[in-house]
Amino acid sequence: MPALHLAQDRYGWLPPEALREVAEALDLTPAYCYAVASFYDMYHLEPVGRYEIAVCTNVSCALAGAQDVLAAFERELGVQAGGTTEDGEFSLSSFECLGGCGWATVVAVNWRYREHVTAGDVPGIVAELRGGEGAGDDA
Amino acid sequence: MSAPAVELVTVNVDGREVQVPKGTGMIETALAAGVEIPVFCYEPRLGPPVGACRMCLCEVEGMPKLQAACTLTAQDGMELRSAQTSAKAAEGQNAVLEFILLNHPLDCPDCDKGGECPLQDLTFRWGPSNTRMHFPKRTFEKPIPISPTISLDRERCILCYRCTRFSEGVSEDLQLVAAHRGAQSIITTFEEEPYRAHFSGNVTELCPVGALLPSTYRFRARPWEIDNTPTVCGLCPVGCNTWATTREGKVQRILSRNHPEVDDGWLCDKGRFTFDHLRAEDRLREPLVRVRRRGFEAVGYDDAVREVARGLREAGGSVAIAFSGGETVEQASALARLVRQGLGGDAAILPDDLDPAVDAFRAPLSAIRDAEICLVLGDEPVMERAPIVDLWLRAARRAGAEVVTVGPAGSVSTPPGSAAATSAELAGGGGSDELRDAGRRLREASRVAIVWSGDDHDSGRRAATLAASLGLGDGSGLYVLPRSPNGRGVAQAWYEAGEGRGFDPSGEEELGALIVSGDEAAYDPRVAQLAERARFVFATSMFTGDHTLWAHVVAPGTSYLERDGTVVNLEGRAQRQRRVVDPPHLDELELLARVGTELGVPIAPWAAEATVDDHAELAPRAQLEAPPEFAPAASTNGAGPGLELVVYRPLFSGPGVERVESLAFQRPAPEIELAHADAQARGIATGDTVTVGLNGSGRALRAAVRRKLRPGVARIAAEHADGLGSHVEVTKA
Repeated sequence: MPALHLAQDRYGWLPPEALREVAEALDLTPAYCYAVASFYDMYHLEPVGRYEIAVCTNVSCALAGAQDVLAAFERELGVQAGGTTEDGEFSLSSFECLGGCGWATVVAVNWRYREHVTAGDVPGIVAELRGGEGAGDDA
Repeated sequence: MSAPAVELVTVNVDGREVQVPKGTGMIETALAAGVEIPVFCYEPRLGPPVGACRMCLCEVEGMPKLQAACTLTAQDGMELRSAQTSAKAAEGQNAVLEFILLNHPLDCPDCDKGGECPLQDLTFRWGPSNTRMHFPKRTFEKPIPISPTISLDRERCILCYRCTRFSEGVSEDLQLVAAHRGAQSIITTFEEEPYRAHFSGNVTELCPVGALLPSTYRFRARPWEIDNTPTVCGLCPVGCNTWATTREGKVQRILSRNHPEVDDGWLCDKGRFTFDHLRAEDRLREPLVRVRRRGFEAVGYDDAVREVARGLREAGGSVAIAFSGGETVEQASALARLVRQGLGGDAAILPDDLDPAVDAFRAPLSAIRDAEICLVLGDEPVMERAPIVDLWLRAARRAGAEVVTVGPAGSVSTPPGSAAATSAELAGGGGSDELRDAGRRLREASRVAIVWSGDDHDSGRRAATLAASLGLGDGSGLYVLPRSPNGRGVAQAWYEAGEGRGFDPSGEEELGALIVSGDEAAYDPRVAQLAERARFVFATSMFTGDHTLWAHVVAPGTSYLERDGTVVNLEGRAQRQRRVVDPPHLDELELLARVGTELGVPIAPWAAEATVDDHAELAPRAQLEAPPEFAPAASTNGAGPGLELVVYRPLFSGPGVERVESLAFQRPAPEIELAHADAQARGIATGDTVTVGLNGSGRALRAAVRRKLRPGVARIAAEHADGLGSHVEVTKA
């Protein structure tokens, strides 16, 4: 799995060639690597945007209005959950529990958490990211 | 070897007490008590249970929730209640089945599995009679050809993971996998590439529903209109036990028939799918006799028999037989007696000529799995020559055995052709440090398996000497892999028919007559050369080929599915092949009996009544006469320009396989395997096109870089090596 992460860091996602390379390096088969990569949401089998926005929609966050937050992102970015904006900047996804139930609703931007997010915060977050600051590329 | 003491425990299943060894699986424990617990995913041959399907839910005293019985083992005092006595378990099982059927299409009338489907059977016996599912069922594109031989229907799949567990934990090809997660899980290969592995077909038998089916069997037959004949595969020296399914006199599929000592219920794709060669277009159907200037003419058997008898009689005792090694013992014996007793001839080309000394270390193949250390010698990949042996070696490794492979691609790297030299070093305690260490561990271990997969003519004797020097006792085994399916039986039949050894075909003198027995022999270039020196050539073969240019009489031959007889596998186990379908002509034995009548040699036209059981036992070990002395091993021809070429015979080759279209994808790609260092030095990566040859002439092949291959060595399948010498230069094209 660390090898898959390394490959994803290099390519930005896991294209078939990346899975082949990992398989060869570890003496496994591409099929096996694909099985692992497809199981976990944090591996991408399709290209993703520069910013990956994951909105937790599991129980605690759902009770704190996660659906509204997700809808706000969809409105603001013009893509459905699971999609990527046409300019390749943002990928939006609805995520299972991010482990921050005490700070619902949790939104992860490139796996850096933002807590207690409400639908009203969303335009600000998107504007901030569009401005190119605080992106958290180091995640 | 004394059996370890077994602790018996008492378990109560549905009110019945039963005593079983501690740790026995609960499914088996219940069966011992006479209770059947239904299962889908449970299959002990696939490794530890996974408890995926939940069909085996049972109530266990002291456990608040229902338990998957397949994941439990027998402990003393355990009380288990199956769905037959526990209402709670029955309710749970019902719910499980309702869930499994939630998205299952229930297209049983349309499904090839219908009538022999565990899901169908268990639903009838245990399941709910209707469904509460009112929503549309999930649909997929179907069927998906995951290879030219296997079709996948994802709608029918119940995600028991039997197929992927086989791919990961038995054949270890890691090609068929479960992708995604939870309800989205699907069985798939990578990027829609075909599932290309020697044992892929087994998943069609493991699948408990109609999701994975052999494409060749789709819409061909129904379980109530077929016959299953128990027989033995005749395509490699393992001799896997099989069922041949026929409908209206035609073979429709081959299934495995578990012989726990031989094949453990697995069957390679060659054994499973090659049957289609029976219907090849270029099959010979009647005897052909060469007529001067007019080529061949089809004749009746009376004329053919007369012509053969005449040709053989006129040879004046100068007669040779070229065997294929696929003949039954009865066929080979008939030929041998005809030549040795009827004509006074004394020459044969035997594909295999193992020294009987190997029988002193005879053991069932299953003993490999129980070995502490396995030694594999020789250049020929075990998987290509006797694929089941490779599965046993993998099983041994999973069970904790050390597997030492010695060869150009081995864990101990040696030059090509050095198996004999290496075995002498191992026996004498010499050689490299690595080899000496391996030799020490082999001597210390009490259960050793030695597999010899090479082509040296005296490999049997050398292997036996090595086994004797390492002190192989009971529980250990020596397995010398013959190159032909019944090479051992054929050689045995030849020697029993008269005095003297085999025949050296390298002479120059004229030969009175040559008998070419079967297609393998007819394809052998050595045989073709020999035929040039023969005044009369009589050939039997299934298919037309080059030999129909140089033979004088050609009689149609049969497939191993069309004749009765005995075959001897690599262990030395005599097994019975049965006539599954009638050949479209006389079989060889009947023909030879008629020739025998002409020549005054009595030959029975049929194989004697079955002397071999359905699950043939292995004969006891032979006594080892004075351990043979070691002849010094010939030094290998390592020197030469460029890379030394190792040519192997791929499993998916031969006259039968070549006529089966759906197996074309399994045949080796036009590819040359290169060692990592050699590839780097030439700037070659896997997938590159390279020119292979010497002195300017060359051919284009695809490069495959192998880390395990010894530097200075290149490996190639025989069918792509035609015309290449012992050394080649490889350059990037």
